[in-house]
Amino acid sequence: MGYEIDANKKFQKELNSGTSALVLLSLLARAEKPMYGYQIAKQLEADSGRLPMMKQGALYPVLRSMENSGLLASRVDPSVSGPPRRYYHITAGGRETLESWTKIWNRTKSFVDAVLGGDHD
Amino acid sequence: MLRGGNMEHIQDYLDRLRMELKGCDPALLQDALFDAEDHLRTALESVREDNTDFDEAEAFRKIVERYGSPMETAQAYRDIEARLSPIWPSESRPRSPAGRFFGILGDPRAWGAFLYMFFAFLTGGVYGLWSLIGGAGSLLCSIFIFGIPVAGLFMFSIRGLALLEGRLVQALLGVRMPLRPVFIQSGIGWGMKIKLLFTESQSWKALIYTLLQLPLGFAYSLFIALALALSLSFIAAPLLELVFGLPLELFGTDAFTPVWLLPVVCLAGIFMLPLILHAARWIGKVHGRYAKAMLVRK
Repeated sequence: MGYEIDANKKFQKELNSGTSALVLLSLLARAEKPMYGYQIAKQLEADSGRLPMMKQGALYPVLRSMENSGLLASRVDPSVSGPPRRYYHITAGGRETLESWTKIWNRTKSFVDAVLGGDHD
Repeated sequence: MLRGGNMEHIQDYLDRLRMELKGCDPALLQDALFDAEDHLRTALESVREDNTDFDEAEAFRKIVERYGSPMETAQAYRDIEARLSPIWPSESRPRSPAGRFFGILGDPRAWGAFLYMFFAFLTGGVYGLWSLIGGAGSLLCSIFIFGIPVAGLFMFSIRGLALLEGRLVQALLGVRMPLRPVFIQSGIGWGMKIKLLFTESQSWKALIYTLLQLPLGFAYSLFIALALALSLSFIAAPLLELVFGLPLELFGTDAFTPVWLLPVVCLAGIFMLPLILHAARWIGKVHGRYAKAMLVRK
């Protein structure tokens, strides 16, 4: 039982490591203005209609790595109520990457669905 | 005392996260603490705005449940850090001495350090002059009632400069620096915020760093400019002297290099280029460590 839970967690984690960047790119591509971490986490909850598959704290290092890769850019803005906030927006390179990753995701999804559903047509 | 999931306040969470990330790069720790504090504070404020009557401990527990335990959060940062490609690609060192000597021409670390040093007079000039002028202005204003906020703003700007310099150091010298500023607590009065700016050693270290960048930046740029000018003039000496008839100017007197010596001078100039890059890389490495020690919170 314990092994099964661990294996499930590991599988979920491996899936998340690939899909979280795609999800964040898609969300920021649709955003009308730059968003900060908490807004992004709340929007993900609102979009999925339930708790997202990953912890909100895991979003931040992904955002940082995406910024390092040039997919996102950010700026720190002072906040009236508290400390300065980091606002993220998608870059032109990020939009191109989103397009190609969406195609890859759709192909992967069709393949996995076909195999899981036993659809061999 | 922090045990298990016994966390009632943001500071408890941050302490646990700091413990979980013990031994990690301090820049990663600074980013993780900034992100966690920003998120947890914003989430708590959001709950407070929506419900005036709420159990703060219970709300905090729910927020942490969604954000992830300190252990989960620390693991997420460690996983991503391990997956991130190093700032500079790992080097494959040629075995032959000549390969090692000239291989520096294709080394991005050396060119990064070269660029950092070349433009250091500009960045160092801006940092140093701002520190001097702003510092002097703040001292002058301190005799008036508005002196304290002015000095606070000045220290705040120094922390901003430190963050900017960190980005430059990471991009050009390949040393991992924080992406997030050092957090200044919200939920405390302006007086306490200004006091923290002055009592945290981070502010003073950043101020010393920005001040020292003025002479250091000037020295770096002067070294690069002089060495590069010498190397290029040596390389071009045969062309300048034999084709264009331009003499070498030594201590105010014109002199032509003996013709037999010109190939040697040209070769010396060619050898100087990799030497400059070796020196730049070494200086860049030392400066990167110094910048990390001064600008990243331990």
